[in-house]
Amino acid sequence: MMELLDPTAEVVPQALSYAPRVGSLQGKRVALVDNTKFNSDRLLQKVGDILKAQHGVAETRVWRKRNAGVPVDESALAEIRTTCDVAIAGIGD
Amino acid sequence: MAGTLTSKRHVVADDADAVEFCHARGWTDGLPVIPPTPDRVRAMLEAARLDAQHAVTSIAHRAVTITAEKVAINAVLAGCKPEYMPVVLAAVEGIGDPAWGYHGPGTSTGGAAVLVVVNGPIARALDINAGDNLFGPGWRANATIGRAVRLVMRNVCGSRPGTLDRATLGHPGRLSYVIAENETESPWPPLHVERGFRPAQSTVTVMAAEAPHQFYNQLSNTAEGILTTLCDDMRISGNVVGQPPYLVILAGEHTRTMAQDGWTKAQIRQCIFDHTQNSLAHLKQTHRLAGAVQPGDEAQLRPLVESPDDVLVIAAGGSVGAFSAYIPGWGSKRSSQAVTKEVRA
Repeated sequence: MMELLDPTAEVVPQALSYAPRVGSLQGKRVALVDNTKFNSDRLLQKVGDILKAQHGVAETRVWRKRNAGVPVDESALAEIRTTCDVAIAGIGD
Repeated sequence: MAGTLTSKRHVVADDADAVEFCHARGWTDGLPVIPPTPDRVRAMLEAARLDAQHAVTSIAHRAVTITAEKVAINAVLAGCKPEYMPVVLAAVEGIGDPAWGYHGPGTSTGGAAVLVVVNGPIARALDINAGDNLFGPGWRANATIGRAVRLVMRNVCGSRPGTLDRATLGHPGRLSYVIAENETESPWPPLHVERGFRPAQSTVTVMAAEAPHQFYNQLSNTAEGILTTLCDDMRISGNVVGQPPYLVILAGEHTRTMAQDGWTKAQIRQCIFDHTQNSLAHLKQTHRLAGAVQPGDEAQLRPLVESPDDVLVIAAGGSVGAFSAYIPGWGSKRSSQAVTKEVRA
């Protein structure tokens, strides 16, 4: 008999919870987070237009990440938290 | 020195059973592995003089801390000798550096591998190949050090094909992609010295990278002639509009021609920067850049890299044969940079 050591990382459970849902989008301010991929800006702009035209969204504003492989900058997150009710992060390609 | 090994233990009947067990658990890259017994893992840690729980690096976006124990286990699996461990550790530290940006190249459909260039005395001490068949098989250190790094990515960081590793094509360098610079025969300062280290220090430079692209120039006996071919080959390569870093590997015959003409690495870099630019019109016409061609786009040039310094140049490869190679980095320099770390042997 022989013993082997496990090469994988032990999973440390983390408690995560979703942000509360907003219900209606009427009059809400929506952040659109562009991840810099090709056409992600166009895709999000289109989504924003539809939200305004069909769901009563008051305003949309776009934030652009530094690149697709990193999270949104802390400063942008802080701004989104204080100036928007809803955030949509999209991809292109 | 190694301290307490805290990884979960599994009991198997014998060596053959152990290899099948590792395959069944999904711990391998498809090739057989060396069973990671506690004694073998301890020998790795002792060679690096590290405690098992030493944090080598953390990948913030994966919420994972890579301990020396996990690196050691994966180095055993990969077939490393204990004395390779400091090189594996330095490479793992490199891919954990925010400038390397693990989440991009570790996940991307672009399918990058971790190219590891070893410099300094340790490359010779461990017989890390810098010569014939540079990227090919035949050297244990080259084959197993990179394999250990990839197994750490797979087993510790969760970069498994089809789940958190979404590479569309990948390439064979993802098994192992380790080379050394041929410092003994090179006419130039080695890469690590250019990047601020002393010649007596040993380092690894990690770059998220595509496969090597070999180019042929069997006619020129001038540096300019060779670089003309290289630039023509490189001009449309990799993520051509992304401006990733590049590595250029000049092999024996080409290196001797460059040296004969007195070209420095800085001159080579500048020449490559100047002669690998594409017009916006061409990039748009070939659907690499979005939008319609505008007046002036023919004359407007976009460099392949942001600056000449983004072309790393080394001497390596066989002494015979009029071939050299270039390797496009992954994505863009904004997303992932080449990172150099000292090997603490």
